[in-house]
This record gives sequence, C-alpha cells and structure tokens, in this order.
Amino acid sequence: MHTQRKFRPLTFADVLIYAFMIVVVLICFIPFVYMLALSLSSPEAIINNKVSLFPVGLNFAAYEQIFTYPNFFKAYGNTIFYTAAGTLISLFMSALFAYAMSKRFLFGHKLVMMLIVFSMFFSGGLIPTYLLISNLHLTGTVWAMLLPFALNQFNLIILINFFRAIPSEIEEAAIIDGLSYFGILRRVILPLSTPALATIGLYTAVFFWNDWFNGLIYLNTDQYPVMLFLRNIVNGTTMVGDGAGAADKSTIAMSIKSAVIITSTLPIIILYPMLQRFFVAGLTVGSVKG
Amino acid sequence: MFKKKSALLILAFSLAASSLAACSSKKENAQPSASSPPASASQSPDASTPAQSEDPIKFSVFYSDNATLPFKEDWLTVQEVQKRFNADIKFEVIPIADYQTKVSLALNTGNNAPDVILYQSTKGENASLALNGALVPISDYSDWTPNFNERVKSFGLEDQVASLNLKDGKRYYLPSLYDKPFYDGGLILREDLLEKYSLQAPKTFDDLYTVLKKFKEENPDSYPLTILAGPRVLYRMTMPSFGVSVGKNGASGTNTLSWDYANQTYFPGAISDQYKEYMAFFSKLYAEGLLDPEMAEPIDGDKWSQKMATGKSFATYAYYDQIGGVASAATEAGFKLQMFPPLAGPAGAHHQPKSSTGSGILFPKKTADRPDFERLVRTIDEMFFSEEGAKIWGLGAEGTTYTMDGDKIKYADDIVNSPNGIYKEMQLKYGAGSDVTQLVWINAQEMTKYDENYGQINAVVAAMPDAIQAIPPTPLFDDMVAEEAASLQTPLADTFEIWADAFLTGKKSLDKDWDQYVKEMKGLQIERFAQLYNDNLK
Repeated sequence: MHTQRKFRPLTFADVLIYAFMIVVVLICFIPFVYMLALSLSSPEAIINNKVSLFPVGLNFAAYEQIFTYPNFFKAYGNTIFYTAAGTLISLFMSALFAYAMSKRFLFGHKLVMMLIVFSMFFSGGLIPTYLLISNLHLTGTVWAMLLPFALNQFNLIILINFFRAIPSEIEEAAIIDGLSYFGILRRVILPLSTPALATIGLYTAVFFWNDWFNGLIYLNTDQYPVMLFLRNIVNGTTMVGDGAGAADKSTIAMSIKSAVIITSTLPIIILYPMLQRFFVAGLTVGSVKG
Repeated sequence: MFKKKSALLILAFSLAASSLAACSSKKENAQPSASSPPASASQSPDASTPAQSEDPIKFSVFYSDNATLPFKEDWLTVQEVQKRFNADIKFEVIPIADYQTKVSLALNTGNNAPDVILYQSTKGENASLALNGALVPISDYSDWTPNFNERVKSFGLEDQVASLNLKDGKRYYLPSLYDKPFYDGGLILREDLLEKYSLQAPKTFDDLYTVLKKFKEENPDSYPLTILAGPRVLYRMTMPSFGVSVGKNGASGTNTLSWDYANQTYFPGAISDQYKEYMAFFSKLYAEGLLDPEMAEPIDGDKWSQKMATGKSFATYAYYDQIGGVASAATEAGFKLQMFPPLAGPAGAHHQPKSSTGSGILFPKKTADRPDFERLVRTIDEMFFSEEGAKIWGLGAEGTTYTMDGDKIKYADDIVNSPNGIYKEMQLKYGAGSDVTQLVWINAQEMTKYDENYGQINAVVAAMPDAIQAIPPTPLFDDMVAEEAASLQTPLADTFEIWADAFLTGKKSLDKDWDQYVKEMKGLQIERFAQLYNDNLK
C-alpha cells in the first residue's frame, strides 16, 4: 500500500485537495507575513500604501521603540511566568481530578460530573466572581491569575475520557506488581497520556498567554501581562476627546502596532510545531496484547 | 479509495471555510474602547506649602495610561509634586482602553478601590454610582478646596461647574478647568494650492464651495473634500454655523436635538429648516463630486493620511495635530496644509461647542473614612489647582524645563530643539501637559508649546465672537425619565442617520422626500423627546 502510493499519478481530486490546503496555509500565513513587513517598514511607505509582503524602507525603529517602553519586558516576563506556572498547575490539578473521575466505581462521580457540566454553562458573572476572588485575598497576587483557572471543564472532560479509554488491564497488571493509585497515575497513566496532556497543555498555555482581562481586573500595574500592553497600543489610542483642550490625538504608527503584535504572539506560535509530534503520536495506545 | 478522497475533499473544504469564518469572527472581539472622557489639565495660583514636619501623606491613585504617552514613575512632574506637597503617591497605572472597566469594578464592589481616581467624571454609570453613595460628594467639602474654588471664580466658570451637580444638587468630582476652549481642529486645506490657483482663503461656506470647485476642475479625478472618521466629525464641526448640532457632541449626545442659544431651550434640530439648509449645501457638494463618497465608511487615520498625502483630496475636516504626519509623508513639492478658522454660515461662524470643564478627580466613598481625609483633600486641591501645583503639571519645574523672562515662558534648549516639538517632548520626557494630571488649562500658556502658526489661529478664533459655544446643559433625569429618554433616543438616532446618508448621497431628495422624513421622525416622537429635555432642565 505504501510503496504503491508513492508512484501513483496525481488525480484531479488530489490537485483539488492540494490547492485547498495551499489556500488554507496562505490564509493563515499571509497576515503574519504582512504584519512582519509592516513592522519593518518606514511610516512613509505605510501611509503611501506601498507595503505588501516585503518591507519597504527597511528599518528597526518600531522594535527599538517598543523595547524602550517602560514595563514592556517586565510585562513579557509576567506573561511567560503566568503561562508556564499556570499550565503546570492546571495540568497537575486536571490530571489528579480526571484520574479520580475516570473511575466509574468512584462514589458520587456522576454528581461531581453534573456539577462540572453545570458550571460550563452557568457562571457567577463578573462582579460576584470578583468579590469571591477579592474576599479570598487573592487580588493583587499572582494566584488570582493562576488558581481560578487551574481547572477547565472542557479540558477535564477530554482528559477523563482519555483516561477511561486506557485499558484497565494495564492498571490491573500494575496493581498486581504492587503500585498504589498514585504510583499508577505517575508511572503508567501519565506516560501513556502524552497526546492528551499535550493537547490540553497547549489549550491552557494559549489561554494564559492571551488572557488580559483577568490580569486587568485582579492585578496591579507591575503584574500586568503583555497582552494588556498590546491591547493598549493597538486599541487604546484612537479616541478623540470632546473637552476644550488639546486632547492628545496623535496616533500610534502602524509599524509599531505591527511590531508589538509580532513580538507578543510569536512565542506562542512557535510552540505549535514543537508540540506537533505529540499530536501526531495519535490516540491509539495499543499496549494490551490480544 | 474514492470514498476516502471525497472525505478528504470535504475536510479540505470545511477547513478552508472555518479559517475564513475565523477571520470574520475576530472582528467581533474588538472591544469598544472605553469612551474617552474629555481632555483635562491644570494650573493655578496660590501656593501654600504644607508643614514639612509632618510625614508625607500616603495615598493611591488610578491613572489612565495612554500608549502614546506611557506613564513613567520618574517623570519630573510626578517626583516634583510629591516632594513639594509632601505626599507619597502609589500610582496604579491602567491602560486607557480598559480604564472604565477597572474603575467601574472598583466602585461597584468597593473592594480594592484606590483613594483617588483621576480622569473621570460623573457621566454615565458614575452618576448612578454617585447617587447610590459610592462616591464622596466633594462639593460638600468646598471649604477644603480653596484653590479649586478660586480657579473656578477667576475663569468665570461658576455656572458651568454648577451644571455638573447631579440630581441631589451635589457635585461628585473636581473637574479640570479651561479658561478658553482650544481650537484644535477644523477646516484644513492645501494652502499651496490656494496660491497656485490664486484663490482667497475661504471665509464662508460659499467660499469653500468655490475653492472645492476649482480644485475639482484642476484635478477631475480627485474628491477635494474628505473627512476623517466619518460624517459625525463633519457634522459636529460644521453644523453649528447653520444653527444646529446633531453630532455625537451635539447637545450632550442627544443626537437629534439642538440647543437654541438665544432662547436657552432644546428644539428638534434634526427636522428643522436649518438642518435642511445644511443638508442642501453638503448634498450639493456630494452631487458635484466635491465630497469624498467614501466618507460614510468611515475613513480611518491611516487611509485619511494617505488620501491627503497623495493628492486624492485637498481639503478636510480633522485635527491640527495630524497635519504634521501627513506633510512628512507627502512627496509633492511645496505641499503645505493649513488650518482655517470656522466658516460663516447662516447662523454665523461657529465651531463645535465645547465644555470648559473636563474630566477630573473623584474620591471613592471609603476614602472619606480615612482619619486624614481633610489633609488628603487639601493636598489634592493644592497639588492640582494651586498656582504652584498647576504650573508643575503644565510646564514642569522652573529652572529645569523652563525659565521666566518677564511674562514670557522660555523653554529649555533641549526641549525647544527636540524633533518631537515642545508639546510632545514636555509630555514624553517630563510628564508635563498630560491631560490626566493637568487640571488647569490656560489657553495662552498652552499655545507657547506649539508652533506660532497654531497660536495665531487660536488667537484669531479666540477673538471671534462666540466661535466656540458652551456645551448645552445636561438635563437631570431621574431613572424613570432617563429610561424613557433612552428608549426614544435610539430609534430617532438610527432613523436620522439613515436619512442623513440618503439626503447627502442624493438617494432621497430634499425637495420631495423631506416631508416624509419629518413625518417619520415625528412618529418616533422627536417632539416628546425635546419636551423631556426641556422639562428637566434646572
């Protein structure tokens, strides 16, 4: 089958499929190339609409300027911390929770499951949640960013179902060999679950990386994530006051906006190809013999 | 095999479709930026330095941070006021796009609120928060704000400040104060072309028509007049000369009502003869290709600069600050943009009405529980409204950023020679002239920061009788009436906009369809709407 396929001539359907795939790749890719080109172009070239996919009037002034913004690197460091710590905490908590919930003989697991699903659809709303976090004395600490999001219902359900799909014979063998439940989770289940962990790890990391709102409401200035910084630059400067004074109507150059977008999204984009192999590994475990 | 192929095909299709779908859904996420409170700033006389023997008074403030002017803790102004007024301020720097959210959350929950909130007013949600006791009624403590009171008196703003009182007769914030409104935007056009075609600078709207006509004749492919950011900018900058104002700023956001300055009442401006006359003028411009048809879209800053720089348009309504960026991007030799005073129409020459008060300082309720509340209020009053304090926020420290040569302000050489220009350099490097912290604005003093040209235009406009009128008073609705007014306002505003667009572009005729339009607006109770406003004036 494999060798045959190598030499089979392209059919019309193949061409169509490839064409579509190329279009999809371009749709995803061109905006980034365009942003990159804008961020490296001179403001004059941008105003005169000369920039397409390659920088015109190549210069790095936009990057120089954003690197001199106070707090840019601080905010960047914060985001890296929230993403790394948040993802680790979340994976740890989710794995513990999901493993217990994957046992159908656990008393009350249906009730707990219902509670989880309920909270997927209904939440307390902004102000009650804020009051809760605030009364727990979490506001102004990094824990306000990390703890409330340690468990995500959607990720939990993925993980529970994945754990359930692992043949119980493996666990039985481990029990016979003398492992405790924690031992089984650590030495058997988790190593077999890298695809699922990578998937929810990536979801979680992207969530923490992109999250600006929770940072805004719970944290203090020097704890703000870089996304808030990005938002302010891209979004916050287009206002015109109606007061009597010289309201500041200067706008931020397109090149700077692009440079900020590139610098703040690039790292998380780079994560994808690195995690690719875990996804490709697939969901088939196949370690129980006939 | 075939089955697998078609499955793959479907997959490819759906992938393509979903990536496209993702593109469009992105847009919805764009959060509306917090509505920007009007600009503000300060400066005032009368310096009494607090007793230095006391410990510095400690308090926290919310500061609205604009990315064009990123806050720096070590700004000269910030350091200097803390030193001089014996204070230790903890700045909570919040991005402007989300400032309103953060303030609203702090006031609504009462948790983690700072002692002082800058750059706020009691418009919108803050008004009901104030009436429900979330804010300190600072007008009750006017004995503690002598510098502020003195400023209000010397600028003659007693009435305007009194109009900021809420329904209970109390004022809940210290607004920023302006002695004379700035003329910071208006008709901007190519001065070099006026000379080239030997035209006079326009004084009236008829002159403008002549000028645009000539531009079009010489450049048939162009649309001579374009507008930055949509028709509302055009409406609010030009309608007052026709005796109406229905833009966003028209009559405090009623959208469809106008203020009769002679009789001090509201009238249904959107169906008035003045408005009809206004539309007749601009639809004529449109019909003859003198007005950019894309203006309805609205045109954003980048696109607008492009049109102006590349000679697709020669005249515009926009802000003075933006001229520089366009001029530097233009390639044509002799390219020169100039701003002109408001043009005269049937109701005289007026620019958009402006308030002489702006957003300012409010105190959350729990601040009043501080044992040193009196000292805090007095310190704030001195820091922002005294001669000494206001001068620091506006000009920096004497001897460092400027020196006085008699009455004249002389800025330090490195500021004058900066490529950013005085105004921008003062802001970026020293934090002077930021509209968050400067609460006293004196027109003549501010003009020393700009090029001479801008100062001259402002002087001309300031000398014109009533060129910039005061913003009409806001009625004091209680919750029920406010609800009724709001439910009338939205359909009226929507209908108005649809018809305005139709009249402007000639889809509807002012002669034939006007009566139908008036009937429709009356059906939506525009007269009742005006009545509500008039009944609830003070």
